Amino acid sequence: MDRLTFDIYEVFAQTDPLAPHQHQFSLLASSPEMALALAQENFLRRREIYSIWVVRRDAITQSGPAERARFYRRKKGYRTTEDYRYLVEKWRRYKQQPMTPETMV
Amino acid sequence: METEREDPERVEAFLQRIDRGERIEADDWMPADYRRQLIRLIAMHGVSEIMGALPEKEWVPKAPTLYRKLAIMAKVQDEIGHGQLLIRVAEDLLAPLGKTREDLLDDLFSGRLKFHNVFHMPAPTWADAGIIAWLVDGAAIITQGMSLSSSYAPYVRALQRIVEEEGFHIQHGESICMALAEGSPSQRKSLQEALERWWPALMMFFGPRETDQATSHQQANLRYRIRTKTNEELRQRFLTKYVPRIRSLGLVPPDPTLHFDAEKGEWVYQQPDWNWFRQIINNQGPRSQARLTLKHLTYEEGRWARAVLAQA
Amino acid sequence: MAASVRDPEEAKATPDFPALSELLWQLADDDLLIGFRASEWLGLGVHIEEDIAFASIAQDEMGHAMTYFQLLEALGMGRADDLAQLRPVSERRNSILVEWPNGEGDYAETPHFDWAFTLVRHFLYDQFEIIRLEGLCQSRYAPLAEAAAAILGEKAYHRDHQQLWLDRLLTHGAESRARVERAVAQAAQLAGDLTDLGPWGNQVAEAGWWPGADQAGARWQQAVESFLGRYQLAPPTWSCPGNGRRGDHSPHLDAALAVLSEVYRQDPLAQW
Repeated sequence: MDRLTFDIYEVFAQTDPLAPHQHQFSLLASSPEMALALAQENFLRRREIYSIWVVRRDAITQSGPAERARFYRRKKGYRTTEDYRYLVEKWRRYKQQPMTPETMV
Repeated sequence: METEREDPERVEAFLQRIDRGERIEADDWMPADYRRQLIRLIAMHGVSEIMGALPEKEWVPKAPTLYRKLAIMAKVQDEIGHGQLLIRVAEDLLAPLGKTREDLLDDLFSGRLKFHNVFHMPAPTWADAGIIAWLVDGAAIITQGMSLSSSYAPYVRALQRIVEEEGFHIQHGESICMALAEGSPSQRKSLQEALERWWPALMMFFGPRETDQATSHQQANLRYRIRTKTNEELRQRFLTKYVPRIRSLGLVPPDPTLHFDAEKGEWVYQQPDWNWFRQIINNQGPRSQARLTLKHLTYEEGRWARAVLAQA
Repeated sequence: MAASVRDPEEAKATPDFPALSELLWQLADDDLLIGFRASEWLGLGVHIEEDIAFASIAQDEMGHAMTYFQLLEALGMGRADDLAQLRPVSERRNSILVEWPNGEGDYAETPHFDWAFTLVRHFLYDQFEIIRLEGLCQSRYAPLAEAAAAILGEKAYHRDHQQLWLDRLLTHGAESRARVERAVAQAAQLAGDLTDLGPWGNQVAEAGWWPGADQAGARWQQAVESFLGRYQLAPPTWSCPGNGRRGDHSPHLDAALAVLSEVYRQDPLAQW
């Protein structure tokens, strides 16, 4: 007998309008429409659903093990608020002793 | 399976990843033996969920009240859902070997792939459905809780979803058992009898106590951090959690020797018949053949519909 | 139309009350039996993912039945579980279509279930149920109108699911198409009583319990035949080996009720 081969669909779902689509799991289905219908009850039985995406797995370009290793980066404090913590102390001082034209000289 | 020699340095680097507590993904390089152990464990876990739905399934149309009918349907549906998650994880591990879900299920039907010993047992009364949901699921959650620290990330992602649902299962079981325990003399009697029927299976649930010659599978699984606790550690945990609760419902486990040895810090219990255990896992248990036949029959008769789904 | 009735006592006092209770029996018994039949499939689905999806449909139907039995309980007809499980066959008002087995054999031993028949039967039922619920949303009995609106929300999934499957089976190969054709022919010989309104039929619409009840049968037939027509399937001749709406059932209902109530009947007064 012929072996049956199914398409694998990856399922993503959004639980409310402001939430991101989050990966749920994968399933075997015959068409995107069938994948949507199955995804709803397979992975979201107890969750609020706002939106579901299904994507055939072979349509996804994925970073692999080599990329996982390359995702390393040095710490970059200038991209974050981390480097600017000193501002709190400065604002506190200026609140107590505001700058005036005299002090600015 | 890959037969060519694996580069020992590569294997060593992989084991170091394991030791560093890293999680392995499906597309990572892995030793053939690691893949083999994962498939063995996850495929067995997956088909056990599918077969494990059957004893309770017998009670789905018969559940006593409309509310119980709804709840047990949801519970059994979850078990099949767990099977879906685990079998998908196993399928992705089998894919590089050119195998699919069909091969996995064929292995179940031919007896090459075993399902968990506890699901070969009969469930002749409604009380059995309660004991299964309360205590069998209670035992399962102890194993699955341990497996959350497994090294294989896709397995853990599936387990996280599973464990989330087990809380409902156990409370569903507790609710059934409590209602029977609080009920008429004949309801209480049926509950006690169901406990007695399931007790040996519960004692066998985690497998035999490890000896110094733990099986090579057990050693490999511990080495790969696929599992992190021994059978006996899990069984002790189960007894600590559940024996007091069982007794608090006025139920008596059918083991006069059962007690907590404070000096040794562990439960003493009567060993179940491990020869019987080996018969059971080889599909010679009381309901092994009937359940395999039921599943196989409907699987074969549904093939035409799957063939329609599989077409391009 | 008469003013809305909210209070069960007030409903019971109206001269049209027998028509309301008759309607509620039909609603409750239909969903109980279709839910029961769907629940027998649990664990045996043709595809693992489908097993799970259809299990949700089974739960929905059983949940709808529970809602209707609770409405009957509120009307003083007895406890919901007694009504669902203890009434004799002659008092049951479900259509014969929904009591019919999924196939040969016992669900727990050697079931030879027919997935094509299951889908076709459920599709025919969904089509009717949706038309009925759309009318019931305007029911003069306010608790029923509210229940219908909530239930209707779950029916779109059922209908879409059944149609998705039937579309697939009808367009992907001769074997599956032939199976659906056989299933339609079989179901057509069972569904004749589905749209029958029972002994109080006229009052159901006239009293406003179910506005539009008098046109529901024709609308259903048109919807079904238009769907079948899309796949070049001829409109079948509808008939029935009895009339469930009048308590004239097949022996399959006795068997189904025996299973469904096996545990409850051991002690209907106990807490379960």
